Amino acid sequence: MKTRIAILSFAHTHALSYARILADRPDVETIATDPEGAAAADFGPRGAELARALRIPYVNSYDEAFAWGPDAVIVTAENSRHRELVERAASAGADILCEKPLATTLEDARAMLAAVERARVGLMLAYPVRFSATFAEARDRVRAGELGQIIGIRGTNNGKVPLADRAWFTDQELAGGGALVDHVVHCADLIDDLLNAQASTVYAVANRILHSDRGIDVETGGLVTLRYPSGVVATIDCSWSYPDAASTWGGLTLQLIGTHGTITIAPFAQHLAGYDARGAVFTPVGDDIDASMIDAFLSDRHHGRALRPDGAVGYRTLQIVDAARRSVVSGMPVQVC
Amino acid sequence: MGASTDGSIATLRVGMIGAGGIARVHMEAWRALGVSVEVYSTDGGEALAAEYGITHVATLEDLLDRVDLVDIVTPSSTHRRVALAAINAGRHVICEKPLAATSADAIEITRAARRAGVQVYPAHVVRYFPEYEALKASIDTGVIGDPAVLRFTRAGEAPRADSWFFDEADGGGLVLDQMIHDLDQARWLAGEVGTVYAVQNPATVDGRVAPIVTAHVILTHVSGAISYVQGFWGPPGLTFRTSVDVAGSGGLLGYESPDDGAVRVDVPFAAAEGDYLPGTRHADDPYARELRDFAEALAGGPTPRVGLEDGILAVALAEAAQASIVSGRPVAFDADSVIAKLGEAAK
Repeated sequence: MKTRIAILSFAHTHALSYARILADRPDVETIATDPEGAAAADFGPRGAELARALRIPYVNSYDEAFAWGPDAVIVTAENSRHRELVERAASAGADILCEKPLATTLEDARAMLAAVERARVGLMLAYPVRFSATFAEARDRVRAGELGQIIGIRGTNNGKVPLADRAWFTDQELAGGGALVDHVVHCADLIDDLLNAQASTVYAVANRILHSDRGIDVETGGLVTLRYPSGVVATIDCSWSYPDAASTWGGLTLQLIGTHGTITIAPFAQHLAGYDARGAVFTPVGDDIDASMIDAFLSDRHHGRALRPDGAVGYRTLQIVDAARRSVVSGMPVQVC
Repeated sequence: MGASTDGSIATLRVGMIGAGGIARVHMEAWRALGVSVEVYSTDGGEALAAEYGITHVATLEDLLDRVDLVDIVTPSSTHRRVALAAINAGRHVICEKPLAATSADAIEITRAARRAGVQVYPAHVVRYFPEYEALKASIDTGVIGDPAVLRFTRAGEAPRADSWFFDEADGGGLVLDQMIHDLDQARWLAGEVGTVYAVQNPATVDGRVAPIVTAHVILTHVSGAISYVQGFWGPPGLTFRTSVDVAGSGGLLGYESPDDGAVRVDVPFAAAEGDYLPGTRHADDPYARELRDFAEALAGGPTPRVGLEDGILAVALAEAAQASIVSGRPVAFDADSVIAKLGEAAK
């Protein structure tokens, strides 16, 4: 029997990647709905038109999507709308793959985790970098003790400003902030997995110099420094620092500094490089980590295994974002919890 | 005095003081410039003189009598004493970074130099590495718009164990010795700093820095730009690497050594060695370019790209970072009030 999956909203562009992957899988039946799509001020198609292009059957409302009786849902709505959809999916008994960040506020996130726990459904956070071979290698090397003791970490998650494709990313209310909300959590999740610990204090600085001519009223550049109880120090650069003219969307790097040396990974680095008539060409050739993540989601729920990355790490990484936002306002390091 | 006033440095007589790691790098650079050097050092001076076939002078006073300028490459805590001796003897000074172990010492050196009318230059050599120089030029000509987010990394094997480099009270420490390069770069590329926050792991205990140590410094510039400076003293054999990335309102530029694509060596059985100092693959060695810039200024040439106030502020930024590491809180920084101490002290 095929697993029935409903994609809830095309607000996040990652929904397109997930839809393409699901459309190619013989073991799932997928539908999509994007009720807010028609009203969104986005460049490019949304709603039924986009679903058609993705070869996914479309329904007009969340009501219809839930009436269809999905086994699982993928929540790719605007960040602030995750809560209502996750709560609704939990009530409907559907397992959930929720786009990152879990929510825009800790209050929403707590309500979501409670709803999931009450309904005994599974919740997985869409942190695909966890599934990359580069991160797996780094984690294996760390666990084998090659680095000695980790003492410091540097993460970078930089990209273009997600403005043309989806305007809500730069809407304080819908996104919960700018680059700090969009790009801290991936690195924070990898660090969480490596250290198996939550940061104790967060110091963050941010500015709006990048893309300052675009009328954006959220932070476009940011640096977040974390201290862990073990003494480990980590800094994440979350800036939307790639210009529109760049030949790639951006990337993520993670450097682990240990007493024996360093390991640095760049999960999106593998590519063909060259030039065409308009300039530099960057053709990614890395593994499809979204596909690996979705495969883990489907296979773990099929076998009744716990879904990972789970809601708890979604919450811990949101705590870091929340602390970073508070630190930017106060100018001081703040406690995470 | 042997220095001419037409910018020619060939007749310059240089007295090197100190004979440690950086001394040989400077010695090679002076040799490349065709400038004659004599050396004085309480430790290793004779060996260095023998190695380069130059004169080792018995006392500091003798050296000062024989030269036009001194190149101070002694441990940082001695910079003040040695520089003041040279200045008081009317000699020009090139001083390895940090200019002094404390900003107060750096200010005292500067006051003395101005009083004596001699020139003193802090050797912030990264300003002479072509990649950083090109980055500065690109920013100044607006290639990437207004700097917004800057990242600097610097990693290499830690200095000799149990040396003064690990003693913060003696002018050592990761921040003051290594990361000061990039603190200076951050100021150079993004302007004055308003706030400094820093963390270090492991923490310095009783003034003693751990043998393997990393630190992160976050700077908020007056312009609103933000900088992240990362340092690492690693295990023996670690490749020396530096990187810089500057994101601006109009673009993004970066560089990472040693992966500049210029040379790749893959020779099995070749001995693997780490580096304490950055390698360079430019025929016009950055150290030689730096020393030539200073030497030409002494001979009447143009003002060098790095001066005493830069040297003072770099030390002051390192001090602010160390204070933040200890307190766990950001430290307000005001370059004007640091520089104003020059005037106050002179009264």
